Parts: sequence; C-alpha cells; structure tokens
Amino acid sequence: MKAADFLYHRAGSVAEAVTLLDEYAGEARLLAGGQSLMPMLNMRLWRLGALIDVNQVPGLDGIEAEGEGDLEETRIGALTRYVSLERSEVVASRLPLLAEMVRHIGDRQVRNRGTLGGSLVQGDPTAEMPLGCLVLGARVRVESGRGSREIAMGEFYDGSYAAALEFDEMVTEIRFPRHPSHFAFSELTRRHGDFCVLSVAVTGECDSDGCWHDLRIGLGGVSDMPVPAEAASARLSGTRLTDDDIREAAALTVEDIDPPSDMRATAEYRTHLVPVHVRRALQQLRARASATELLTRTRENR
Amino acid sequence: MNEFVEAPAAPKETTRQEESLKHRLIGTSVPRTEDERLLRGDGRFTDDVQFAHQLEMAVGRCPFPHARILSIDVSRALELEGVKHVLTGEQVREQSAPLTVLRPVPGAPQLPYYALAQDKATYEGQPVVSVVAVSRALAEDAIELIEIEYEPLPHVSDAIAALEEGAPLLHPQSLASNLLASNGDRAGEPEARIEAADVVLRSRMRIGRVTPLPMETRGVVAVWRPGARELSIHTSTQVPHLVRKQLAESLRIGEECIRVSASDVGGGFGMKLGVYPEDVLASLHAMALRRPVKWIEDRMEHFRASTHGRESIHDYCLAADAEGRFVAMTNTYTTDIGGWNSPFGSSQLSSVIFTGPYRVADAAVERRVAMTNKTPVGAYRGYGQPEVNFALEVLVDRLARKLGKDPLALRELNMLRPEDLPWTVPSGAVYDSGDYLRTLRMAAEAVDYAAHRASPRVPRPDGRILGIGLSSFVERTGYASARFLANRGSKFGAHESVTLRANRSGTIDLYTGVSSIGQSSETAFAQICAEVLGVDFDAVRVHSGDTASSPLNTGAFASRTLIAAAGALREAALPFRDKTLRLGAWALGIAPEEAVIEGYEVRHRDDADKRVPLSDVFSRAILGQGIPHDETPGLETTAHFEPPSAAFSFGTAAAVVAVDPETGEFSVERFVMVHDCGVAVNPMIVEGQVRGALVQGLGAALGEELRYDAVTGQLLSGSMLDYAVPRAADVPPIELLHTEVPSPVTTFGVRGVGEVGTIPPGAAIANALCDALADYGVEFSALPITPESVWRALQAARESTQGAAA
Ligand SMILES: Cc1cc2nc3c(=O)[nH]c(=O)nc-3n(C[C@H](O)[C@H](O)[C@H](O)COP(=O)(O)OP(=O)(O)OC[C@H]3O[C@@H](n4cnc5c(N)ncnc54)[C@H](O)[C@@H]3O)c2cc1C
Repeated sequence: MKAADFLYHRAGSVAEAVTLLDEYAGEARLLAGGQSLMPMLNMRLWRLGALIDVNQVPGLDGIEAEGEGDLEETRIGALTRYVSLERSEVVASRLPLLAEMVRHIGDRQVRNRGTLGGSLVQGDPTAEMPLGCLVLGARVRVESGRGSREIAMGEFYDGSYAAALEFDEMVTEIRFPRHPSHFAFSELTRRHGDFCVLSVAVTGECDSDGCWHDLRIGLGGVSDMPVPAEAASARLSGTRLTDDDIREAAALTVEDIDPPSDMRATAEYRTHLVPVHVRRALQQLRARASATELLTRTRENR
Repeated sequence: MNEFVEAPAAPKETTRQEESLKHRLIGTSVPRTEDERLLRGDGRFTDDVQFAHQLEMAVGRCPFPHARILSIDVSRALELEGVKHVLTGEQVREQSAPLTVLRPVPGAPQLPYYALAQDKATYEGQPVVSVVAVSRALAEDAIELIEIEYEPLPHVSDAIAALEEGAPLLHPQSLASNLLASNGDRAGEPEARIEAADVVLRSRMRIGRVTPLPMETRGVVAVWRPGARELSIHTSTQVPHLVRKQLAESLRIGEECIRVSASDVGGGFGMKLGVYPEDVLASLHAMALRRPVKWIEDRMEHFRASTHGRESIHDYCLAADAEGRFVAMTNTYTTDIGGWNSPFGSSQLSSVIFTGPYRVADAAVERRVAMTNKTPVGAYRGYGQPEVNFALEVLVDRLARKLGKDPLALRELNMLRPEDLPWTVPSGAVYDSGDYLRTLRMAAEAVDYAAHRASPRVPRPDGRILGIGLSSFVERTGYASARFLANRGSKFGAHESVTLRANRSGTIDLYTGVSSIGQSSETAFAQICAEVLGVDFDAVRVHSGDTASSPLNTGAFASRTLIAAAGALREAALPFRDKTLRLGAWALGIAPEEAVIEGYEVRHRDDADKRVPLSDVFSRAILGQGIPHDETPGLETTAHFEPPSAAFSFGTAAAVVAVDPETGEFSVERFVMVHDCGVAVNPMIVEGQVRGALVQGLGAALGEELRYDAVTGQLLSGSMLDYAVPRAADVPPIELLHTEVPSPVTTFGVRGVGEVGTIPPGAAIANALCDALADYGVEFSALPITPESVWRALQAARESTQGAAA
C-alpha cells in the first residue's frame, strides 16, 4: 500500500495550477486535503503522472458573506477545510444546514484536512457536502487557462465520482444564495461518521398563514449522485405539510432513486427507507418551523 | 460501574478467601507496567525494528478465489533498478517444506501448504510471488511488472455447498471431498430422548466470518548471519517459541540456528498463533541475500492474508419436556476453514461447551471442517465459544417463547447448581466450580428484568420499543493437560515457564516466552512474583518474548497464560525466596527462619536494625563470596508448570435494546456483563480485558462481516471502508459486574479472562430484539444482526402471519 512514483508540484497560484493541469493533459490531479486522493494512490487504484499541491495557493480558503436580504450571497473558497466550516460563525448563521451536515463527515482527522472543493470534485454519491450544496442551490466556480465559468450543483455531476469538469479545470469557489428559512437533515450510517446508507436534506419557506412553498428535498446515497426529489417537492407546494401531505409526498420519492446494493445495505432496504426518512425529515421541518414561529410570536407579544 | 462481589460462602472457599485477604499485591489494581512505554511512544513494534542495509519485501497475491497458475514471468521485475530478489513457487518448493500446523484436526491429512502457491491457488490473497527491493514502494512496482497467467477455476465459497456432491474440489490430491475431517463427542442417548421429548426445536444458525483486526498487522524482520549460522527473526507473534519450531521445520534448519523475538505486539487475538507464509518468505530472501529483509503487512493485505475467524453453521436440536426441562441437545456444525489449514487449525471449543451452563446428560456434537475458496480461518478470541453461545442461547429463548415461559425462568430451571459441579460434559471436559445462577440473577436485577417483563412492548415517544435479552455462558480457559492435548493431536504443551534471575542492583529479572500482546502479562507476572518473594512490585523486571533468553514455553493464547504461569511463577519464586533468605540470614548472622524479605531488603523478623539490602545479598550470590560453604553460587530459578485441569469461567450478559419497528434501526442502550474469572490478580486488567473482548463481540454481533460475492467469490468487505468494525463512539455503554469464585484447579484460584467478552453479545442482542418485537414474532438465526436484518426479520414475520391468516 505504497503509492507508485509521481511528480510533485507545489502551485503558487491558480494560474500556475491550471497551467500544470493543462500540461499534463489529464495525467495530473490537484492535491487538496488528500483524504480521498491519497488513499486511492496508496492502494494503487490510481496511477498519476503528477500531483499539483494547491494547499499553498493564497486566497482559496475564505468564507465571505456578501449582500443582504434576497441579494444575500455566501462565498466559500474551494480549499476551505471542513473544520473551518464547523467553526465559522458566518456558516453557522448564514448556512446552518451546511454547518449541521459537515459534522457528520468522517472523524476529526478527516475534517481537519478535507476540503469543500475536494469533496465536491470527488463526487462520492453518499457524501454530505454535495447533497448540502445541491439542496442549497449552490453554484461552483471553475477556472482554467481558457477562462472561468460557473456550474450549478444540479449539473455538476455526470455520474458517480464523476464531476463534470474538464481535465484542465479547477474549482476555486462555491457560491451560495440566501439560505432557506427552514431546514432539516437526517441520515442513516452504520457507524458514527461513516459514509451513509442514505441521507435526506429538506428545506422550505413557510408563509405566515402556514402554507409552504419552495420546498427542496435532496437524497444522498440512493443514486449515482445526490438527487432532488422533485415530484415530492411539487406535491407539497402550497400545502400545510399535514401528515397526509407528507406521507403522500414521501411515497413519491421512490421514483427519483436508483439505489445501489453494497456492504452497507441492499437496494431493497434503501428503497424501503427513503420514504420513511423523507417523511421524518419533513415532520422535523414542520416541527422546527412551528417552534420558530412560536418563538417569534412570544417575542412579539412581549 | 465496576463492582467486585464476594463469592458465596462454601467450606472449601473460606480458606481461599482467607488466603486472598493476606495477599499484598494479588487482587490490587497495580497500574500497568506496559503503559508508560506505550503512552510515550516508546513501544517497539515490528516496524520499529530497523537494521542497516535492510531491504523490504512485497508479496504478489492471487486475485482469484481459485485458479491454476499457468506461467510466471519475472524478467521485467528483475530489470527494475533496486529490485534485489524474486521468489516463485518453484524455488520455494526446492528451498523449504510446507508450513506445519500446530493444532491439526484429528484425522485430517497434512496439506502441502507452501509459502508460495504451487500449481494453483485456493483463495484470493494466497501468496504467489515475492519480491525484495530497496523500498516497499519499489517492491510493489516490481510485483505489478510480474506477469502471471492464471486460469480461473470453478470455486466454492459457502461451507455447506462445499460439502455437497459435485462441488469444485480444492485439494483433490490429498482429499476426495472438501471435508477436511469430522469428529464428534457424545454422552447418553440423545436420539432416544429427542424422540420421547415433549418439545423439539431444530434450527440452522449461521455465524458470520469476521477478522480479528489487531491494530498492528503482522510483520517480520529476518536477519541471516551465515558465519554465525543464526537466523534472527523479529516478528509480531503470540508464540515466539512455536514460531521458532515451525520455522525450523519449514526452513529445514535446526532450531538452535533460529532466534525469534517479539517485543511489543499490537494485538494478537489468536490470529498471530504460529507461522505464516510471509515469515518463511522473508527468511528465504534474507538467507539468499545475506541482508536483513522486512515485511510489514498492510491493511489491505491483512484482510486477505491473515486468518479470519468464526464462520460456522450450527444445526442445533434442543429437546425439552413440557415444563421446559432440557432433556437432550445435539449440534452438528460445519466450520469453514478456508483454502488451507491455518497454522492453528480449526476451532474445537464449540464441541467442548455446546451444552452451555445447563444440566443435560444426553447430548451429542459433531464437527465438520469444510474447505472453501476463502482465506484460512484460524483462532480468534473465543475460538468456537461465541459461535456456539449464539446458537444455543437464541434457541433457549425460542423454546421459552414456544412454551410461553419466561426466558429467565427457563434458564434458572436448567442451570447447573454449585452442588452439581464438577460436571463432565460429553467431550470429557470437566466444569470445575462456580455459581452460574447467581450471575444470571445479578444480570437480571441490574437491568430491572422483572419490571420490564411485566410491562407491555409499546413504543416510546421516539417510536422505539425496548427489549431485554439474556445470554449465559460457560467458557473454557486454559487446557486440561498435555495428555488431553496429545489426544487431540496438538503440537504444543499445556505448561508455562519462567526464569527468575537475581541481579546486582538488588532487583529480579523475570524471563518469559510469553510476548506482550496487550494482555498485561508483564504487570500480572510481576505482581505474582513480587507477592511470593515479598519484594516491591517495582523490584521485578519482566523480559518477554525472546526465545534466546526465555525458557521454553507454550504462549499467549486460549486464555491460558496466567492459568499455567501462576503456578510456574510460584514454583520458581519459592526456592528463589528460600535461598535469598538463607543468604540474607547468613549475612546478618541470624537463622533463616528469623529472616523476612521486605521491599528491597532482607531483615530480621522482629529487629528492624538487622537488615541487609537485596543488592548485597544478590551480589554475594552472584560472586559466590560471603555465602555459606554449603551453598552454590548464583541465584536463578526456572520452573515449568502444567495445571492439572482447565478452569471454566462463567457469567451472564443482559442487553437492553431500543428498536424502531418501521425501519429496523436499533441501538444497544445498555450492556451488562456479569462475569467470574475466579481470583482477579489485577481487577483493572480484568476489566480492560472484558471490555476489550466485549467490543469485539459487539462488533461481530452488530456489523462486522467479511462477505464474499456469491458469484465471483471475491471478498466484498476487505477494507476499513467496508468492514464495519466499531469505533469508540459506536460502543454501547458497558456495565461490568463480577463474582469471584476461586477455581479449585489453578494456583491462586484464577480463571482465564482474555476472551470471555466475545462470547455473549450476539445472543443477548438477538434475544433482546426478539423480546422488543415480541408482538411481531421475529426470529434471528444469523450473525451479524444489522438494521437491515431486523427489517427483513419483520418482513418475514409479517409474511408468515399474513400467510397464516390467508
Ligand atoms: C476515514 C475517512 C472517512 C471519511 N468519511 C467521510 C464521510 O463520512 N463523508 C464524506 O463526505 N466524506 C468522507 N470522507 C472523504 C473526505 O470527505 C474527503 O476529504 C473528500 O472526499 C475529498 O476532499 P479533499 O480535500 O481531501 O480532496 P483530495 O483527496 O485532495 O482530492 C479529491 C479529488 O478532488 C480533486 N480536487 C481537490 N480539490 C480540487 C479543486 N479545487 N479543483 C478540482 N479538483 C480538485 C482531487 O484532484 C481529487 O481528484 C472520508 C475520508 C476518510 C479518509
């Protein structure tokens, strides 16, 4: 379990990194936290011409809050470590779903090294960050010698472990629009911090009259990439999320999944679990919203 | 929570109790000697051993479960700069003999298991070529350049299927079928009793394949000095003296040329019991190159190259009368031994304790050892006992449900009482002593069993239903005797040995062949030795695991070390103490009877002014100066001790689970273990051993599983990513309770304690789930039990009730 020889470059800038990527024409990879890349090299599942270390590139690891209200936007540098997301006050207040999800990743060591950009590019279908970014409507900023572009999370994957990037492209930043008012997250793992059997993230807005809209339901671990459950979201729009609404919507989610059978669970079991976990996540969403509402009303009355 | 409960008063125990009250060190939680070096990072594991000019070895392994090797071309590997030597099967056959088995299955033929595959390989991961190079990475590069042409052969990975007519044969030259051997034990007339019984339960129970997974994988450093004719082996093993013997056999050189040492061993769990192919390969390379060769098993290799554990299928039959009294029991079980006989052979303990702690006179057991195209199975903590406990204890609860009885009451009814012991089981083994019932009642009380039993199984506000499950067990620890072992074909003895040697600093060097595998033997040995001698604990320094300095012994396994070593320590320490007293008394001018050893000196019993330091007494002995004329110089004793019989530990575990009937998700909210290991030499060590083994037992019960693909025969969970071993955060809260009934068959009344925790978790959890889901009527017949298996059990129960309704 020792990696075969490779060349090592330490890039000093994004420009240098993408130039090197271009020169190696697909034979090189960027090294971020190394939490997926190094095991693959050591297990000799991958043989590379070169590693381009981007850990010293300045300016890739910031968390910035911009704008207010509907124009609110949060920008997170690709090299931002999980641990920084966990500890950031900006993330806690502006992207609370992400803050909750990041704590489910691996263990302390993994979270000290692993990065948001690395996780997105790695594209593990069970990973937390791709699901969170999908549900939050994030956009991924990508640079190459040919210029830059932005890819919506919904279009970021061609398949499992397959980010829709060209070989000379590098992710530099992830941009999040204003966070939905309400959210809930539920995941089933075999062990604490393990890759999940399945995960569910839900968000939505609730009017003062108790009607819900803009619901988003994302499912992890049950397809070759995180998937939105669109039919279920549509079913719930304009409802009050009654138990019946929730049950019917949850039942629709099985249309959107294509779960694998692996050591963690069979496809059959995952198929049984998805509607149950969606139902429970939605009930939690509803409960949290009424708790918030109660809190606001109590404050107003005072 | 940890509580030592006094043993029940019985006449022969009173003296024991009194004796143990006199003890100064035995029974106290002396902090572990081993901890300081381990916590400071000063441990010396195999990879910490470095030599000048050392080379590294990598092994090329068969990627198929069963394949003929048509050709091997090593030329491109040899051209790579830095590659020093390559071995293939042909050279290995010329230069060495097949690996020997320490514990052959009686009646089994010797299989020609060479260090490298000969014409074919019979498991995924079997070594096929080995390369030595200046670095491990380079050696791995070279392996990739070796061209091996395989012809995949039909394979069989299921032990039951392997025994069926027409199954692909693994070793047609040696065996006409895949049955390596079968043997049985019986007592009374079980068949007739089953025939006449009121209730008969039969079930097939499957215990999954797991890996012991020590933190330190295997490893070896081989150094050959031809001029000295010395092969020095540093290796991660539980049995240095046995590895020496086996290496001598495989390498065809005398044992006198081989020195094996193991300093710190990062866990063994039965898996490091004897020689492996890589030990022979590293030696052959080192001898050919005359340079030190190191091989450290990496984690991916470990999952395929080190012996697995457990996998077995038990066809049990439990027969009872209408009240629930057990009248007969039979168990025909198949153990899956994999592609070759492992160095330690197949487990036999299922046959010894298959009747559990119960009074059943009519019983029969038959073991079948099946060969399959998988990694060999070897010893693993518990070795046959967790397997059979799961099968039997799940059946006991099933019987209780069938009869509408309380599982606790059913156990009470059938359990052996103290006055029934000693009790001989069908294998001829003798349960020595104990109060089994008491542990059952303590466990039940700790989880408030009675109140739970009386309440309905309704979901809590979180939707989960609570259940409680019990599992009682008897565990064989140690070996009956060398005679007993000889009958079963063992190539090792039942004794332990120690050498005590005085040094001029006034302290005592204690030499043992037992390597330090985390079992705390260094601490416990020093406690016993210091106890008998009267010196301070710190005055005894233990040196372990080097065949060049230790007397010949057996090794650290089968929960047997202390059982035998306690006697050896006492036998060595008594003459050592007497001579120290004679020499000390002579120096003081007093009679030996007036002298005592205390701390670091010999002094007059009543006159504190008359004292002489041990450094003085020992120096006199070593120099032969200032000692009585009739004394010989030197102060060194060696003792070998074989216990007259095995001691049986016992206890009961209770699991409290909370299960979600919609998804099958569940958690173990409490796990209570009541356990008796006789006199605890060091209660803290006992607790650590029980907890550690419980975690392994819980892992195997709840998720650990080496699964092979049904079609390709490939290992599906051969990495830390897929193999769900529990980590600290996954371990349920464990509560330990102890009783302390001294064993009458061992020195100081000790019983073994290293393995016991692996035994009861599977059955306790299965029974707790069945209890929680009593209204649904679920059954479990296989380990591990995952949320998915609970969900499937619920589905099956629903289908059968629907079927019944239709
Ligand atoms: C023990 C363990 C447990 C884990 N558990 C979990 C878990 O529970 N959940 C989970 O989601 N993940 C888990 N992971 C995976 C972890 O999250 C990885 O860190 C993550 O997938 C990759 O991020 P990284 O920064 O380490 O990337 P690296 O490993 O350095 O790179 C991963 C891939 O992304 C590419 N890459 C990295 N940065 C960029 C960039 N800026 N632009 C373009 N390409 C880039 C690399 O070239 C490589 O192909 C676990 C890992 C380990 C070792």
